[in-house]
Amino acid sequence: MRIVVCVKEVLDPDAVNNYAVAGRLEIGADGKTLTQTAIPRLMNGYDEQAIEAALRLRDAGADFTLCVLSVGTDPDKLLKHAAALGAEELVSIQVDPSTLDPQATAKLLATQIEASGGAEVVFCGRQASDDDQGVVPVLIAEHLSMSVVTVAREIHIEDEALKITRATPEGDEVVRAACPAVVTITNELGEPRYPTASAKIKARRVKPTVVTPADLSLSADEIAPKVLLKQQFVPEVQGNCEFLEGDAAQVAGQLLEKLRAEGTLQ
Amino acid sequence: MSEQPIVVCSFGETRDGLPAGAEEVLHIGRGLAQTSGAPLLWVVLGPLPERAAETAGLFGVQSLHQIDDEKLKMNSSDAQVAALVAYGKAQVPKALLVHQTLEARSVAPRVAAQLGGAVVMNGISVSPIGENFEITASAYGGDTRAVYEVGPGPVLAFIPNAAIPEPTSADPVAAEPFTVDLSAVQERIEVIEPACFDGPRLDDAEIIVSGGRGLGSQDNYSLIEQLAEALGGIAGASRPLVDDGWVDSSHQVGLTGRITRPNLYVAIGISGASQHMAGCSAAKTIVAVNRDPEAAIFQHARFGIVGDALEIVPELIRAASAG
Ligand SMILES: Cc1cc2nc3c(=O)[nH]c(=O)nc-3n(C[C@H](O)[C@H](O)[C@H](O)COP(=O)(O)OP(=O)(O)OC[C@H]3O[C@@H](n4cnc5c(N)ncnc54)[C@H](O)[C@@H]3O)c2cc1C
Repeated sequence: MRIVVCVKEVLDPDAVNNYAVAGRLEIGADGKTLTQTAIPRLMNGYDEQAIEAALRLRDAGADFTLCVLSVGTDPDKLLKHAAALGAEELVSIQVDPSTLDPQATAKLLATQIEASGGAEVVFCGRQASDDDQGVVPVLIAEHLSMSVVTVAREIHIEDEALKITRATPEGDEVVRAACPAVVTITNELGEPRYPTASAKIKARRVKPTVVTPADLSLSADEIAPKVLLKQQFVPEVQGNCEFLEGDAAQVAGQLLEKLRAEGTLQ
Repeated sequence: MSEQPIVVCSFGETRDGLPAGAEEVLHIGRGLAQTSGAPLLWVVLGPLPERAAETAGLFGVQSLHQIDDEKLKMNSSDAQVAALVAYGKAQVPKALLVHQTLEARSVAPRVAAQLGGAVVMNGISVSPIGENFEITASAYGGDTRAVYEVGPGPVLAFIPNAAIPEPTSADPVAAEPFTVDLSAVQERIEVIEPACFDGPRLDDAEIIVSGGRGLGSQDNYSLIEQLAEALGGIAGASRPLVDDGWVDSSHQVGLTGRITRPNLYVAIGISGASQHMAGCSAAKTIVAVNRDPEAAIFQHARFGIVGDALEIVPELIRAASAG
């Protein structure tokens, strides 16, 4: 069995948020990209949990090759982390991500998966914390004619099928999906593990396989974006907070009074 | 109808007897139909909601179509995709608009792929530029807005982020059946245990009291439930509380939880991260209780109380119960 996990490098969302809260989030001269060079780049959190999902299947005794794929120009840090966690195959699809859209990215990933022998299961994070689109996993499934199960928090292999608990807004739902399938992972899966120090040292020597669109016989047309980013801006928050002063009982009383006076509360 | 329409599609989740977010997306659809000089169609998959005809009239819908089929039950995404693709091929829409539910997140990209159009999620607004469209979407959990240009025939998913104006009254539009042959569709995902949430839903709530990590421990979450009850609302939470298992995921407010639009949102011990605010910034009034006067939540709040939640909330419960 082969399990593929797709991972993306993003700007640390907490750092982006801290800049935003401090009113210091800025867009560069191109009008599109965030300028903060101080913001660390790291693996999308949900993608880390997607690797974790695969590792938990391995812990439970499943026998498979774990392949981790990333599209980008500098995925070494991500892929070495994956290697240290136990991925046997590492593939870097070398394309400047700013020239792609989710559909092109999905096309590259799906073509690579197919060309390298397919997969019984493809795990992806539910969405990337930069563009929040969450479209790539669904389109990988579409390209490979696989079914897609989103927001998984728990996965078991039973009779060669997947039994998946989904964390939906209505509570947990349990579904069965035949393999092959694409499964997206949500935060409810829980903390991803860290690699051991010795595994990290060993992983330093690992060289990912490098693949270009030409290697995948994809023409520029086939990976031309349909969604073009024209501009990015930081929305304004109005901020007209009225702070209530006094001891706990006083502020509580004032608040209720004001909300009733405004008609917010009866 | 010769003119290519703007199509709003509703399916799955319902709220207040209408598909979730239907009114918000119809409002956006009406605007787009007007600016691009196109008729507005509304297609509903599955049983027709009670107020559909009336709602269609209010939002200037030319034709209301219903695709009903045994196979279009909840969790039937293969059938939903097949129905929308068939409908899209018949109507050749200028653009297809949906409300972004969890289901829509997996249906919309597939429909776009099969119809050959672009797909954009997290939309806030859209306008035509020639045959193309410019869509403003939330990114970085709400810290930024991305403006994308897409070609003709895209599938666009929207998240409500502001209250919509009250539509003016108009004559109802009677629903016409639209038949799609779904006999060949075989669902690939089998539901073994459906999600069974039967309490009041955050989406519908007029008053929400949410707790965050500032509560310190799971036991203190009962204060949130008590305050919610005293105010006649329901209890929500930030993501860390869900991650740590204090409450289940149906309580999570935010980008990857519920997107709410109550009259009153009370945030207790919540820092106000953009991903949380994405689920409550459409609230009419936000009240924040936080120990840190610099907390981001105060940038969004109408009323703020700086202090320890464990001291303030019991007093709020007392004051609310006294009312
Ligand atoms: C892709 C992505 C999606 C996400 N989706 C969501 C989502 O849907 N919903 C969501 O909520 N988050 C989401 N998050 C997480 C989000 O970024 C924040 O980490 C989270 O909202 C923080 O929760 P919090 O405010 O409870 O905790 P913290 O950020 O830890 O804030 C705790 C607050 O409590 C205050 N406090 C501490 N002690 C007290 C006290 N005794 N009394 C009063 N106040 C006190 C502190 O001053 C602080 O402001 C997402 C993150 C990412 C990257």
